[in-house]
Amino acid sequence: MILILVLSLTYLTYLGGLGELPPNDVRLIAKNYLNLTYNPYVKSLWASSPEAVTAIVWDYRGLDTLFETVVFYGAVLAAITLFRKVAKEKDMLQSKGMSVVVKRATAIVTVAMLTVAFSTALHGHLTPGGGFQAGAIGAVAPLVMIVVFGKRYLEDRGLSYGRLLSLRNLALTGIGVTSIALFTYALIQGGFSFIFQNQGKSLSPYSFPSYTLDVPSGGILLFFNVFEFLAVLAGFTLVFLILLGSDELLSKEFEGGENGY
Amino acid sequence: MDIELVRFMFLLTVVSFYVNLALSIYGVIAKPNLVKKIIALTILQDSASIFAVLVGYKLWRPGLTLQPPVLTDLTPTSETLKEFVLRSVDPLPQALVLTAIVIGLAVTVFLTTITLHIQKHFGTVNVDVIGRLKREEVYEEVI
Amino acid sequence: MDYVDLIFAMMGLSALLSVVATALAIRSKDLLNAVIFSSVQSVAYALIYFLLLAPDIVLVYVAVSVGIYPLILILLIKKVGRYETKQNWEQLKGGDV
Repeated sequence: MILILVLSLTYLTYLGGLGELPPNDVRLIAKNYLNLTYNPYVKSLWASSPEAVTAIVWDYRGLDTLFETVVFYGAVLAAITLFRKVAKEKDMLQSKGMSVVVKRATAIVTVAMLTVAFSTALHGHLTPGGGFQAGAIGAVAPLVMIVVFGKRYLEDRGLSYGRLLSLRNLALTGIGVTSIALFTYALIQGGFSFIFQNQGKSLSPYSFPSYTLDVPSGGILLFFNVFEFLAVLAGFTLVFLILLGSDELLSKEFEGGENGY
Repeated sequence: MDIELVRFMFLLTVVSFYVNLALSIYGVIAKPNLVKKIIALTILQDSASIFAVLVGYKLWRPGLTLQPPVLTDLTPTSETLKEFVLRSVDPLPQALVLTAIVIGLAVTVFLTTITLHIQKHFGTVNVDVIGRLKREEVYEEVI
Repeated sequence: MDYVDLIFAMMGLSALLSVVATALAIRSKDLLNAVIFSSVQSVAYALIYFLLLAPDIVLVYVAVSVGIYPLILILLIKKVGRYETKQNWEQLKGGDV
């Protein structure tokens, strides 16, 4: 029965539910984006980024991504709220961590991971990559560090709840400030500009820098990528720091839980 | 390029994703363990997002080499741009799926913390047992 | 057989591999095995994303789905118990119901 249902759905899809598969050509809107993303002849509509995906994520569909960031912020905030009693405390268990060989290897690999992540964020407008990718790659580094060195070891060396939270809020403030920076600048100059404007439009000539030296810098995309990298990295590290706490610490959260919430 | 083989393999891919969707929906609904439900949910999410990318793909034709939506030439002429538009796949579904994956991870982390709370509160993550325990609690309160 | 055939053959075969991995992950009673099968499915999907010419998604998908998901799920399994047992009511209440 289920098999028949699945096969008939597949047949319908193949007949034309999703269009012809694989499609003969991409749709018109995609051609538009591809044509305009790095087109120096139409400077009123370009994004100054040879990478079409990043241009769509932060320029053409920038507001969508802003609200996705809000959803991300909310999900991490909800996860922290469920452990609010223990979030600010240090772990009472002094873990010895793994052996010396593993620790040294991890210390070297972690630096490499963070470097790769940061370079992915910085080159997001030139090569495949960007803020979300860099944040996901970078979040593996603290996770491995916590497992190998132990949570208390890192907390004694300055990785604390408060600092991560302020880094995260700083990055989100950066996203907000970047989106209205050009607007404010144009207002001071006595002109007019859109919020979330990257390059100059036909209505307003103001524009973020298109090139640094002779490499296209993507204007607003570079700032958004770096800030989003910091926000995703700090958000995930916060949750992992709480989830990887010892049982003794986590059980403090559940005291009195039997009376209901 | 053997068009029969290409068509068959593409059909096989589409059928596989449908089977994956069906299996993971079965896992979400029928399995009583919450951790198993979370695992099935991640598979469901990936299968749904791979369909979006599949729509943006393009048929290979003789003499047409496809490329990812990244322009490699930093000083393009209008011929280069025309060829790029002709060869590149659709970037729009990729941009949407990209953010969906990261947000899915954040939501899964939230589900993980909820599951930890349920485990501490009821002593089990089996939803059948949790349901009976809750009914028992209510029944005692009524008496 | 030129390289276009090879691309589509690899796509179909890794899709088949993902079906096998998903079926085993849903069937398995041992949750640790289920997590490992689910990450095998993720590896197959990552290959398919690469063949569908989406390098951006591969970058984020490999880190998230092969790295972080299994780690947090294993962490969860360590705290809630490894086997998907048929805990029944009598066992839980000590047999007085």
